[in-house]
Amino acid sequence: MDFTIRAATLEDCKDISRMILELAEYEKASDQVKITQRDLEQDGFSKNPFFHGIIAEVPEHHKSREGHTKVGYSLYFYTYSSWKGRAVYMEDLYVMPEFRGKGIGKALMSKVSQLGLAAGCTQLNFTVLDWNKSSLDFYLKQGCWDVTSDLGYHCMRCEGDALEHLAQGDL
Amino acid sequence: MASFILRKAEPKDVSDILRLIKELAKFEEMEDQVILTEKDLLEDGFGDHPFYHCIVADVPKQHQSADSHVIIGFAMYYFTYDPWIGKLLYLEDFYVMKEFRGFGIGSEILKKLSQTAVRTRCSSMHFIVAEWNKPSIDFYKRRGASDLSLEEGWRLFKIDKQNLLKLLAKC
Repeated sequence: MDFTIRAATLEDCKDISRMILELAEYEKASDQVKITQRDLEQDGFSKNPFFHGIIAEVPEHHKSREGHTKVGYSLYFYTYSSWKGRAVYMEDLYVMPEFRGKGIGKALMSKVSQLGLAAGCTQLNFTVLDWNKSSLDFYLKQGCWDVTSDLGYHCMRCEGDALEHLAQGDL
Repeated sequence: MASFILRKAEPKDVSDILRLIKELAKFEEMEDQVILTEKDLLEDGFGDHPFYHCIVADVPKQHQSADSHVIIGFAMYYFTYDPWIGKLLYLEDFYVMKEFRGFGIGSEILKKLSQTAVRTRCSSMHFIVAEWNKPSIDFYKRRGASDLSLEEGWRLFKIDKQNLLKLLAKC
């Protein structure tokens, strides 16, 4: 099947927002999505964007059952390793279920890798849920390794009241 | 020892920042993994689009360390993006030299970071901790941090440059 991979534009935010919700549903967490199409436009397409996007698009004659031609996306941003320097973090990678198995996911990930390498990055990092066996298998096949399993690194978060208290210096 | 100041890192601090990065890596038994140089830190942290931000802890000369340093702690951070909740502050490195612990310097650094997170409208602060590092895990949990790897099953994955290039060659 024909598809193109290109940088996301402001006009893509409506479809990106739609697919973010689809991915959240797949991860059984759609009630946690607070970001709107407008937030994406502001945060991704201003002078100092907080993220970058890639879109996978199919021609009109291959559109989805509901009439969409934008069928996959990846959101990424640049980070920094105090050991190795510039790195790229792939925050989201998603292809609509009816378009899977055609190399679109691999092509999206490849584009993020290309852009990362061009920007001087030496690693691509991302997180996967431990129950997501098909994704875990896909990534391990690409030569990735599980830093949590192998080095025992745990992802930690401080948010909401805890973050406010920390800012105020309360213990 | 009472007095110390926390301030934004300046280009002249890169030598101390690298020294402290290596000390922290040594504590994590990963000193040989640090390939970053002072030149990288200068280019990546003090240009038009910095890849990271840094706070340093500075003590007066009369309180300098056993090996004559006045920069005795630091935190390296950058901004990331969660498409469900928006901007986040990611804490990459956080370290206070052993002889300066127990004076509240670490707590002050964390407070300053949290203030930055709240001020820049980040919904959360994220970081990783090695699962064997019990004192650090306790320090963070006392301040309301939650372990996403344990609680939600997130595993951190990485793909290094060699495998990124292989990925590109396959597509």
